Amino acid sequence: MSPRYVFAVVRKEIQHILRDRSTLVLVLLAPTALMLLMGYALTMDIQHVPIAVLDYDHSSTSRDFVQQITAGDDLDLYAQVSSMEEIEALLMRGEIKVALVLAPGFARDFRSLRGMPLQIIIDGTEPQSGAFAVEHVGWRAEEFLNQALSAQMGALGVTQGISQPIDLRIRAWYNPSLKPRVDMIPGLISMVLGFPALSVALTLAHEREHGTLEQLMATPITRAELLLGKMIPYVLVGLVNVILIPLLAMLLFRIPFNGNFIVFFLLSAVFLFAILGMGLIIGVFMKTQPAALALSFLLIFFPGFFMTGIFFPIASMPEVMRMEALALPGTHYAIITRGVFLTGVGLDVLWPYGVMLAGLGVIFMGIAGLFFRKRLG
Amino acid sequence: MMAKWRRIWSLSIKEFIHLRSDWWLPVFMLIGGAIELLAVGWATSRPITNLPLMVLDHDRSAASRSFVVNLHNTEIFNLEAEVYGVAVIEDALRLGEINAAVIIPPDFSSELSSPAGRPIVAVILNGAESIPATAALRAIEGVTREMGDRILVQRLGLQTEEFEGFIPSLRVWFNESLSEALYTTPAELGLMLEFTVLLFAALSFTRERELGTLEHLLVMPFSTLELVIGKSIPVVLVGFIDFILMLGVTHWAFGVPVRGSVALLLTLAFVYILVELSKGLMISVMAKTQHQAFLLVMMLGLSDFMFTGYAAPVESMPQVIQWVANFIPAHHFLAIMRGILLKGTGMEVLWPHVLALIVLGLFIGGFSMRFVRRSLS
Repeated sequence: MSPRYVFAVVRKEIQHILRDRSTLVLVLLAPTALMLLMGYALTMDIQHVPIAVLDYDHSSTSRDFVQQITAGDDLDLYAQVSSMEEIEALLMRGEIKVALVLAPGFARDFRSLRGMPLQIIIDGTEPQSGAFAVEHVGWRAEEFLNQALSAQMGALGVTQGISQPIDLRIRAWYNPSLKPRVDMIPGLISMVLGFPALSVALTLAHEREHGTLEQLMATPITRAELLLGKMIPYVLVGLVNVILIPLLAMLLFRIPFNGNFIVFFLLSAVFLFAILGMGLIIGVFMKTQPAALALSFLLIFFPGFFMTGIFFPIASMPEVMRMEALALPGTHYAIITRGVFLTGVGLDVLWPYGVMLAGLGVIFMGIAGLFFRKRLG
Repeated sequence: MMAKWRRIWSLSIKEFIHLRSDWWLPVFMLIGGAIELLAVGWATSRPITNLPLMVLDHDRSAASRSFVVNLHNTEIFNLEAEVYGVAVIEDALRLGEINAAVIIPPDFSSELSSPAGRPIVAVILNGAESIPATAALRAIEGVTREMGDRILVQRLGLQTEEFEGFIPSLRVWFNESLSEALYTTPAELGLMLEFTVLLFAALSFTRERELGTLEHLLVMPFSTLELVIGKSIPVVLVGFIDFILMLGVTHWAFGVPVRGSVALLLTLAFVYILVELSKGLMISVMAKTQHQAFLLVMMLGLSDFMFTGYAAPVESMPQVIQWVANFIPAHHFLAIMRGILLKGTGMEVLWPHVLALIVLGLFIGGFSMRFVRRSLS
């Protein structure tokens, strides 16, 4: 393998990218731009969930209870309704996410503490708000009960032992308020870095479409030199984004970067090698650019989004799918990015994932090289 | 008039002949998409389980053991072997091996049996993976509250029959069994559909231009409108078959119900496909090369996905993003799909989304026609 030939291909490819400014901007900035948009969309802050109340009791206790439930910023009283049909209509139209039904005799049951039925109805088509509401209604109800209990026991002269007997002290490391954005933005870097891989697949298919690949093959450049030369410019494109994205994450979204940047940069280069290997395989197998795009979506982006443990924990997947997840470079890279951004670990912890990525890269490159030879010969 | 339709028809035939030489591309996109939807849906639409948890039990009493057993019974955790030191937990968290750890103090049972004792149970969560951490937190809080309520009753010297707090009962409407598939798979279907339509629409003009065959078309006696309609028919057909196929997958493989009118759903899916088609055509005439067009397709497809409510409900996003969501066809289509499939609603509720979809369609369609006209003449 001659570096001179590799470099010649690299130069040709870079000229291709530079020839047209709009292509340059797209190729270079697509990952960072997408990251910017997703970062904003993930800035979720569930508050003011609209809630409807059906109070069959009409007592001062039930009114106090509703007051307590909707006192904060989390749950807003949207409507007092008088029938289940109204609740149904409001849920249908999506105007409320949650409804609370207080049975007749609520105040009486509450005075004697004989179990107050509290029916919570949530909209199952939107689980996040529902789960949030259930949790918050639970807290408020407990507060309400404890206050009433203290008052009652105080009247009886009992002042001790009426608080929750187990004191839970909760600490979340690396992301104290458990904001999804904090771990999803580092996790999604693996997905947006699929763009250079898409580009490399498209350029290979482009050469095939225009018949210029044959011309290249007629030159003394070997196939390995050609593949490597095609890859290097897009590794560089990827690395530009590897520098831009942490800046974006830290400055705009206030994501901490606790690890070592050099480690992150090195492991990102290894990841790009692996994911671009996938891109090369796609480019080698697909004869046209639309086909290369379709396969990139099915192999890189769609699984990269859903199967790499960013939104759904890999531990909860069925065995077979866990194996598939481990064959995706993004799974290992998501662990690495969360590690350097949040946990702040270094190579001593992350080296096995780096080795896995390098191994996957070598396998992918091997497959690409092997079939490249066959399909042109 | 007849001659006009004949011309359009002959154009469509030409497109189909193109597709025949590349017949496998739509087939591959249709079958591949459906299979992938099946695989991803199967892997990720299930309750969160099997989360690695470490328990450090300093007490080793009957009470502490029953606490651990209760944690185990939630079926959310995969209990790691017993640990004997905090250092082990800290290491495991740093390595990302566990999602949560519970530390039970040595005085757990003695505090609980004394009348006013409050043992402090420490919970450490791994915030670097916020979704499993939140699930773990909810489960641990639930177990603690249940155990605490029992002890509270004993302390107050009440009979269990005499005292009961709130008896919350949860009803999840539109999704009684709380199946995750009911809200995740429609969003995944939406992404796959949008991508498929955009891909085929985007390649319509870019490809001909890049391969130099567009000039041939332009010298023929077609009007721009005829050209666009002829190009669009195969795209709409592929998109529609894709939608029906994937709807079948979500219905029969994941039990997503169709509670509303199937005819309405198919009609609105048709409208949605037309809107995405005009987006694709616009990309197709704006982009100079297939490479540019396809990068844009991927970016649009992935960013629109953030507005389908998969990762976060749109209502909880920042105000600006919610405003932007109104201009995203996929956002309205998902609202329509969830409404018809899960809630069984019809036009009387869905009309704002349908209206938005139509307005967006006319707007984007008009724009893209102007673009097509200008760039083709």
